[in-house]
Amino acid sequence: MLVFAARRIALAIGVIAGVLVVTFAVVHLVPGDPAAAWAGPHATAAQIARARRALGLDRPVPAQLASYFAGIATGNWGTSIHTHQPVLSDIASAAPASLELVITALLLAVAAGVPLGLVSARRPGRPADQLIRAGSILGVSMPIFWMALILQLVFAQRLRWLPAAGEYSPALLFTHPLVRRTGLPVIDALLAGNWPMLGSTLVHLILPAVVVAAYPAGLIARMVRAQVLDALGEAHILNARALGFPERQVFGRFALKLAWTPVAAAVALVFGYSLVNTFLVESIFDWPGLGSYAAASITTLDTPAILGVTLFVAIAYVLANLIVDLAQAAIDPRIRLR
Amino acid sequence: MIESPVLAPPDAAVPRGARALRALRANPLLLAGAALVLLIVLAAVLAPLLAPYPGDAGTATHPFAALRPPSAAHPFGTDEVGRDILSRVLYGARVSPLIAVVVLAIACAVGVPLGVAAGFFGGWLDEAIMRVTDVFLAFPPLLLALALAAVLPASLVSVTVAIAASWWPWYARLLRGQAASVAGRPYIEACRALGISRARIVFRHILPNSVTPLLVQVSLDVGGVILTASALSFLGLGAQDPVPDWGLMVAEGQGYFTPDWWLVTFPGLAILLTAFAFNLLGDGLRDMLDPRRSFLP
Amino acid sequence: MRRHRARAAAPGAALALLLAACGGGSYGSGGKAAASAVFTYDTYTQVMVDGWDPATEYSNGIIAMSNMYETLTRYNPVTHQLDPLLATRWSHSPDGLTWTFQLRHGVRFHTGRLMTAQAARAAILRTKRLGGGASYIWGAVKSIDTPGPFTLVFHLSYPSPLALEASADYSAYIYDTRAAGQGSLTKWLNAPHDAGTGPYTLQSWHNGQEFEVVLKAFRGYWGGWSGRHFTKVVFRVVPQDTTAAQLLRAGQVSFVEQMSPSLWASLRGAPGIRLVSAPSWQNLLAQLNTQALSLPVRQAISYATDYPGIIAALKGAAVPSSGIVPAGLFGHFTNLPSYAYDPARAARLLRQAGYGPGRRPLSLTLTYTAGDSNEQVVATLLKSTLARLNVRLSVQPLAWATQWAKGKSASPAARQDIFVEYWWPDYADPYSWFVNLLQTQKQPFFNLSYYSDRTLDSQIARVESLVATNPAAGSALYRTMQVEILRQAPIVFLYNTNYQYAMTTTFSGFQVNPAYPNVVFAYDLRP
Repeated sequence: MLVFAARRIALAIGVIAGVLVVTFAVVHLVPGDPAAAWAGPHATAAQIARARRALGLDRPVPAQLASYFAGIATGNWGTSIHTHQPVLSDIASAAPASLELVITALLLAVAAGVPLGLVSARRPGRPADQLIRAGSILGVSMPIFWMALILQLVFAQRLRWLPAAGEYSPALLFTHPLVRRTGLPVIDALLAGNWPMLGSTLVHLILPAVVVAAYPAGLIARMVRAQVLDALGEAHILNARALGFPERQVFGRFALKLAWTPVAAAVALVFGYSLVNTFLVESIFDWPGLGSYAAASITTLDTPAILGVTLFVAIAYVLANLIVDLAQAAIDPRIRLR
Repeated sequence: MIESPVLAPPDAAVPRGARALRALRANPLLLAGAALVLLIVLAAVLAPLLAPYPGDAGTATHPFAALRPPSAAHPFGTDEVGRDILSRVLYGARVSPLIAVVVLAIACAVGVPLGVAAGFFGGWLDEAIMRVTDVFLAFPPLLLALALAAVLPASLVSVTVAIAASWWPWYARLLRGQAASVAGRPYIEACRALGISRARIVFRHILPNSVTPLLVQVSLDVGGVILTASALSFLGLGAQDPVPDWGLMVAEGQGYFTPDWWLVTFPGLAILLTAFAFNLLGDGLRDMLDPRRSFLP
Repeated sequence: MRRHRARAAAPGAALALLLAACGGGSYGSGGKAAASAVFTYDTYTQVMVDGWDPATEYSNGIIAMSNMYETLTRYNPVTHQLDPLLATRWSHSPDGLTWTFQLRHGVRFHTGRLMTAQAARAAILRTKRLGGGASYIWGAVKSIDTPGPFTLVFHLSYPSPLALEASADYSAYIYDTRAAGQGSLTKWLNAPHDAGTGPYTLQSWHNGQEFEVVLKAFRGYWGGWSGRHFTKVVFRVVPQDTTAAQLLRAGQVSFVEQMSPSLWASLRGAPGIRLVSAPSWQNLLAQLNTQALSLPVRQAISYATDYPGIIAALKGAAVPSSGIVPAGLFGHFTNLPSYAYDPARAARLLRQAGYGPGRRPLSLTLTYTAGDSNEQVVATLLKSTLARLNVRLSVQPLAWATQWAKGKSASPAARQDIFVEYWWPDYADPYSWFVNLLQTQKQPFFNLSYYSDRTLDSQIARVESLVATNPAAGSALYRTMQVEILRQAPIVFLYNTNYQYAMTTTFSGFQVNPAYPNVVFAYDLRP
């Protein structure tokens, strides 16, 4: 296990280094000549040369890359153009809200996707299966920014069942102020025993979380269905059936157990998907997380902020995969052999 | 009566065409997907005939007819500058599906040779190519495309390039797996021993064996690329007005959404239907052609 | 920066003014009364983006600051005259060079100090010295005497309508310059604190949050708190107008600053909601890059703009403009030679310049403020009408700061061809348009047409003196300047904004005052 973990961690570090190289390339190589872009479309050669020196682009690429690595490692992720704050501190203050949203959405997705996948696998090809499969394909086909707008229109504007936007009802700040500790309003309200605030945060979480959950729910349902069907074909499940175990036990105890490993891997996968999907959803719901930050960075052409968020999400994604891998290896020794 | 399409191995005794027909009948979702895709393709091809106001997909505007609700004259209503939304939605069928085709062509053109080289030659080449794909796959889908599109000037070309740049590693992975499994088979080793050229082995044995999974993967990815392209347009990183791009139309209509719901609703439905159609088709094709891979997302 | 409401996201974010009302004199008594005494002003964009210094603030901050600080005089939109505020009376010498203001007695700053002529003098001199915001309004002031504890005498270096300038929405505030003691006042103000004389004082500020600014009643306000008044004013940032409308229906905000015209119209007849529409002094401009575009091209663009179409598409949020100066202001004329939508004429002019239909295409870039749907409509329509003339307009929506930085960039090569922005005056006077947008600026600031005309520069330099001493001649000069500017076409005057406010019916006394854009004087409301 230790060897496996060490190898897996080393691999993750290598991948993160690669991610850094790619983001570096995006900043420094992609727009053709960044010095020309910086100096303006009709700049003279002399102006471009000056810009190149000012940006440090006259140094050899490896030297530039080395200073970029050093900057990232020491927490210097650049300064955001639109907030004038260090990008890393902007990310640190925005990340908790996004994490709260994504984690809630993934819980919803697992809660909906696993049972649906099981029902679907129970009698493959039957109407219930076809319906669930169609539904799960619909889930992964959903333009979620559009879904966000539609749900907001229907449930907030027309039916007025749910609040349209925000993390909580700000009016509560006057009567039940929220003490910020973790930065996750739900947790903070819970820790403080601030029940009106807790209720408000939960109600505000529903719409954005459902929207972010659409894709992962569809994916998990399909995954569970396929895995369970696969597992049902395996020898010991056939044995269990032959031995007369009730169908429900065959499903719940044996098949689902086999399906669990890939589902956990899928959760790590959709964690990354969902973090990026918040870029499309948060600004619609006025959710003060990474997505709103990224969207604002885009309209301000705030390259340091955009790349900072990109880097952060990519690293979070690599780490999520690493954690799932290690956890699975700890539970299921066969994985270490892969 | 219905055997699970997942479990059923292709029955070698039945002729190919009949098999396909049977599978189609056994899989209504595939049928529905194929029908929808056909409709979308028709809409794209016949847009000039179907659209009531073809000029509205271009630079025409009618400010005195702005924000009209759906009616007989404008079944989907008009937008904030009076353009017919139905016409723009129909012409939109030419935008993101086309982006998807180009993106996947580029992704295959880059990914397939790299994958084959990695799988066939193995060794350090394999290691190098696979580590690079690892890095690219460390970005969640959409993220790398978004970062690239954000630094490139906003245009359809930028979006296409940005998505293709984040899509090719999937194909490199897929082809590497195919090539490695074929290359390891005894008859290929025999071919090699007989001195048959590598090029011949690749073109006669490895590529033909990879066509089916490649086709399945491509059909599965069309929907994903369409969604990604729409998302980038929605963020203002893709097509620019007046290109009738659905994602852009949703973004522009957002400010009018209440009470003028039709600006956002119809273009968004078009994205959903198109992605749904291609995903149904891809899913069904996979079940039919490549049942072993059904468990992949 | 100002003139510019940088929008967070979708158009029509709402600033919620939460007004707390309380019964006559029962300040702070009873939770119930206090809860109903909150006025919530809903805005779509951050309020305090420019710092808390009343001398230099030049952005959205006035909607809050106008409730915390006061000026010597205030413009009355009904009488078109100046009302007394911190000054009770004023007069000037026949030559317009000496102005005497009698100050109100018994006015205290929020710091507790008495507002005297000495204190007012110190504030004005500091504002003038810092040179930020609209401090040019004090530009004519050579020296200030304080012959009595409540008498201010200004000596001007050239005649200027000082009482009017003293009513300005920016840089005219009287504040306590000793608020910070020995420390830096700017630092102290940005803590933030306030040092005004107004009815409300700062309770809390949460930068970047939805409930951004909360003001509470200042007990020592000279106007007193008898009768019904809001005791708390909340500025709530709601980036989406649909959300704002919902909050308004639910009574959670009292006032919504801006929403899309169709959303605004959809609230008509809604129970408990009052709609107010009124002409503003704000117009939307397209500044044409005069260094890149020749006169015929600029005139062609002016003729290629579909003015009636823009007004129609904006559904009541816009009214046609006539010249540079909006109606209600000195220097407004209804009979100026102006541009009408005339594509044939535009085509002729383009041909003169070697472009136009059948010739080589002309490619132009336009920037507007991302998220402003009215500007977006204008850009789309302009793109459409120009396309028919073989002009390719490439439109770039940018966040305000980015758009402005591009416009100001030192390298002319990096600048846009067309810059779309709003403009409104600093006080009830047309001078602001001319001095900011059209006077030669070596380093472009708001003159984003990069326009430079020596004759016009000298006319701008003397017009205000002329107005102060000979209004008829001043008016004639404003007319002459406008005729020439329209001929030179450095700016396309697209339309004048029509305010469309929505508010609850739980209070009365609201009056639109175009001299203070989007400001609600919460003290004047009766809950």
